[in-house]
Amino acid sequence: MTSSPSETQAHPLRSFADRVAEAVGGTAEIHFDTVKVTVPAESWVEAHTTARDDLDLVFFSWLSATDWANDVQAGDPLRDEVEERVELISALSDLTDGRIVLFSTSLDKDEPRIPSLVDVYAGANWHEREAHEMFGIDFEGHPNLIHLYLPDAFIGNPLRKSYPLLSREVKPWPGTVDVEAMPGRADEPSTENPES
Amino acid sequence: MTIDADTIHHLSEVQVSVELQTEDMTLNIGPQHPSTHGVLRLVARVDGERCFDVQPVIGYMHRGYEKLSEVRTYPQVTTIINRIDWVSGYANEVPFIVAAEKLMELEVPERAQFIRLILTEMARISSHLVFNASYPLELGAATPLFFALRERERVLDLLESVTGGRFHPNFNRIGGVKPAYGSGSTTRKQLQDLPAGFLGETRNAMDKVLESVDQLEALVADNEIILARTRGVGVLPPEVAAAYGVSGPNLRASGVPFDLRKTQDYLPYDRFDFKVVTAENGDCWDRWWVRLQEIRESAKIIQQAVDSIPSGDLQAKVPKVIKVPKGETYVRAENPKGEMGYYLVSDGGQGPYRLKIRSASFSNLSILPWILEGILVPDIIAIMGSLDFVLGDVDR
Amino acid sequence: MTDLLADLFSNFWVSLGGKLLLVALMIPLVGMVIGFAEMKLSAKMQYRVGPYFAGGRWGWAQLIADGVKFFQKEDIIPDDADRPVFKFAPILVLIGTVALLVVIPFGPSLIFRDLDVGIFYALAISSLSTIGILMAGWSSANKYSLIGGLRAAGQLIAYELPLVLAVVGSVILAGTMSMQGIVEAQIEAGYPYVIFQVVGFVIFMIAALAELTRIPFDMPIAESELVMGYLTEYSGFRFLFFFLAEFANMFTMSAIAATLFLGGYWLPGIPEDVLEFAGPIILIAKVFLLVFVMIWFRWTFPRFREDQLQGLAWRWLVPLAFVNIAVTATLKVLL
Repeated sequence: MTSSPSETQAHPLRSFADRVAEAVGGTAEIHFDTVKVTVPAESWVEAHTTARDDLDLVFFSWLSATDWANDVQAGDPLRDEVEERVELISALSDLTDGRIVLFSTSLDKDEPRIPSLVDVYAGANWHEREAHEMFGIDFEGHPNLIHLYLPDAFIGNPLRKSYPLLSREVKPWPGTVDVEAMPGRADEPSTENPES
Repeated sequence: MTIDADTIHHLSEVQVSVELQTEDMTLNIGPQHPSTHGVLRLVARVDGERCFDVQPVIGYMHRGYEKLSEVRTYPQVTTIINRIDWVSGYANEVPFIVAAEKLMELEVPERAQFIRLILTEMARISSHLVFNASYPLELGAATPLFFALRERERVLDLLESVTGGRFHPNFNRIGGVKPAYGSGSTTRKQLQDLPAGFLGETRNAMDKVLESVDQLEALVADNEIILARTRGVGVLPPEVAAAYGVSGPNLRASGVPFDLRKTQDYLPYDRFDFKVVTAENGDCWDRWWVRLQEIRESAKIIQQAVDSIPSGDLQAKVPKVIKVPKGETYVRAENPKGEMGYYLVSDGGQGPYRLKIRSASFSNLSILPWILEGILVPDIIAIMGSLDFVLGDVDR
Repeated sequence: MTDLLADLFSNFWVSLGGKLLLVALMIPLVGMVIGFAEMKLSAKMQYRVGPYFAGGRWGWAQLIADGVKFFQKEDIIPDDADRPVFKFAPILVLIGTVALLVVIPFGPSLIFRDLDVGIFYALAISSLSTIGILMAGWSSANKYSLIGGLRAAGQLIAYELPLVLAVVGSVILAGTMSMQGIVEAQIEAGYPYVIFQVVGFVIFMIAALAELTRIPFDMPIAESELVMGYLTEYSGFRFLFFFLAEFANMFTMSAIAATLFLGGYWLPGIPEDVLEFAGPIILIAKVFLLVFVMIWFRWTFPRFREDQLQGLAWRWLVPLAFVNIAVTATLKVLL
C-alpha cells in the first residue's frame, strides 16, 4: 500500500513502529495513525510469537483478509491496477497503552495457505475459521477448520471479489435511485445518480 | 444344566463385574431458547448435570455486513451498521464514521464531538441497564428487570428526541452529526440543533438513572441467592481473556484496567473525569457489578459533558457526494460490549473497498468452549448470560 | 325445612356426595383466587398494574378467562410420549392436593373427616405429587423434561424429610396426630405453637416452598434454562391441572402450617360458638398471610442451583429439625 501523506519522521508512533518491525523482521508503515507491519509469509507464526513474548502485544484483536483483485463482480473496481493477492491481516494490541499493530502478509491468490496461529493465540481459532470460509484460506494445523457462519453445504467464498452477489446481478451497480416523483410533479422525477 | 457342587464352586469363583453403563447425553440448547440472547445454538455433551464439551454454533443471524458495505456508499453504510449491536445502537456508528473522517483528514467540530460522546454514553447506559436487569432474570429473579427498564425508557426517550430513533439512530454523518432537517432546496435552511430542553432533561434523567442504579444494587447485591449463584462461577483469568480477545467489561472484571476510552482519541474523553472500573476475581458476579458501576461512571460523564458542551457547527463542510481518498486505517472504540473496531480500506471511491468489522461479542463468545468445560448445566446459563453478548454483534 | 336437610345429610351417601362436591368445587375456586392474588401482588411489587381488563376495572375475571381458555385448547400429545402415563400424571398431582383438603379443620366441627392420624395422612398423601411429576418428566419423551423430572425427584425427596421432621415438634406438644386435636390442644394451652416452635415453623415453610417447586426452589421448572422443565410438553387443560395444583397446594400447605403452628381457626379471646362460623374466616386470613409471604419470596429471589438446594436440605434443615425435636421432647417431659 502506498504510504499516507501524514507519515513523517516525526509521527508519534514512528519509533514504536520501527521497534516492532525490527523485532519481527518486517517493514513498518503508518497509515493514518495505524501501525502496519508487513512480514513475509514464512515468518508469520514466528512474528506473532515474538510479538506476544517480547513486545507485550498479548491481546489478540482480530484476524481477517483483503482480496486484492482487478476485476470485481460487485462494487467498484480498483482505480489503479494492483498485484493480485490475498492480504492476511491480524491485529495485536497491548493491554497498557492501547497500542495496536496490524500485521500483514501476502498470500497466493489462487491457493492461499499459511500455518495457523492457534498455538500462539487461542483466540485465532474462530477468526481463522471465518477467514477460511470467507476467503478460502487454508490454515495448516487448525484443529477444526469448518464453516463458522455459513451453512455446511455452502459453496464459494463470499468475501472474494470474484463472488457474485445475486441482488447486483439483477440490478447493476450503482443503479439509479428509482424514487417516484412527488405528486403533481411528474416531469421531474428525482433520479439522483450518485455517479454524477 | 445340572447344578452340583462343582458348578456352584465354579460360579462362586467367577468374578461377576457389572459395569454401569452410563451414557453421556448431547443436549442441544437453542437456537430458540429463552436465555441465549438471540439465535445461538450450543451443542453440549452432558453427563448428568455436568457438561464436558460445549460447542457454540453461530451464524443464524449472519447478514453479511462486510460484503454489504462493499456495495454501498458511505452514507448508506451508516444506515445499516447501527444494526450490528442493536442494544447499543448509536455506539456502532461512531468508529466507522471516525475512520472515514480520518481518511478524509476532516476536522470535526467540537460540538458535534460532544454530542456524539453524550449519545454514545447514553447508549452505554441503555445497554448496561438491559444487561443488569436481564441477568437476574436468567437466574430466576424477575423483579429487577422492571426497575431497570423503567429508567431505560427515559434514556431511550432522550435518544429518540435527538435522533429520531430509539435503537437505530443513524445520526452520524461524515464530518459530524446530522445537522438539520429542512435544509433541502425546497425548504428554508434552518439549522436545527439539539431539541430545546434536551440538556435539562438529560440532567434529570441522569439523576433518575443513578437512583435506579442504587435501587438495583440494593435489590440484587444483598441477595444471598444471587451471590451464591454467581460468586466463583465462571472465573476468567486475564491471560486467557487476552489470548481470546475478550474485551470491555469482561476483561475489566478480570482485573485488567484497560479502557479504550482512556487510550484512544476517537472522541474527546480526555476532557472528562471518570474511573476505569475493575474487579478482582473475574467471576460472573464481578462482570455484573462492573457494568453496574460503569453506568454510574457514564452518568457522570454525561453530566460533565452536558455542563460544558460548546456551541458551534454540527457538521464540517463536506461535498455533497462523498468520496473518501485512498488509504486504510483501523479505528477502535470502547463499545458497551467491548472493543469495536472498523478496518477501512478505501480506494478513493464512494464506498469502502473493504470494511472489516471487529465486533466485541464475537471474541467474547469465542471463549465459551474454554470457560464452559466441566461446568454444571445451570451454570451454563449463568456464565453465558454474564458475558453479555448480542447475536447481531456475533454474526454480523 | 332444616329438619329435612338434617335428615337428608344424616344419610351417609348424601353427605359423602356433598363433601365430595364441596372439595371438588373448592380446589378450582381456591386456585383461581390465589392465582389472581399472585398476579396482582407481583404487579404491585413491580410497578405494574396486573390484570386490568377482564371483568371490569379490577380484572377479577382474569383467571376465569384463563381457565376457559385452557379448556378449549387443542390437546397435543407428543408422538413419542408414553400416552397413559402422560395423561395420568397431572391427575396424580391434583389428587395429592385434593386429598389434603380432607383433614384441614375449618371450624370446631367443620372438617371433612377428622382422622386420628390426620397429619400423618396429610404428609403421606402430599408425596403422591412427587410421583406425578416424575411421570410427567419421563413420559414427555423430551430431554429437557427428563432433566426437569429428575431434578424434581431429587428435590422433592430431599425436602420431604425436613417437612416431616418439622411437624413432629408440634405433634409432640399437642400429644395427638389428629388435626382437630392439635387445634384443640392449642386452644387449651392458650397460645399458638409457633411461639415455641419458631424453628419448626420456619423449616416447614421452607420445605413447603420446595415441595411446591416455587422459586427459590424451582429448578425443576427453571424457565430460563429448561424451557418449562417437566411441564414443557403439557398444554391445554393438562397444563391447567398442574397450574391449579400448584396454587391449590399453596393453599393446603399454608393451611396445614396455620393449623399446626398458628392455631388454625382459633384466635385468642373468641368464644367457641362464634368459632363455628368465624373459624373458616380466621383460618383463611392466616392462610392468606402465609401465601402472601410465599408470593413475596417468589418475586424477590432467583433460584437455587441444584447442588445448593440439596446442600440446604441435607446439611441445614434436617439437622436443625432433629435438634428441634430433641429440645421439644426434652422440655415436654421436664415441664
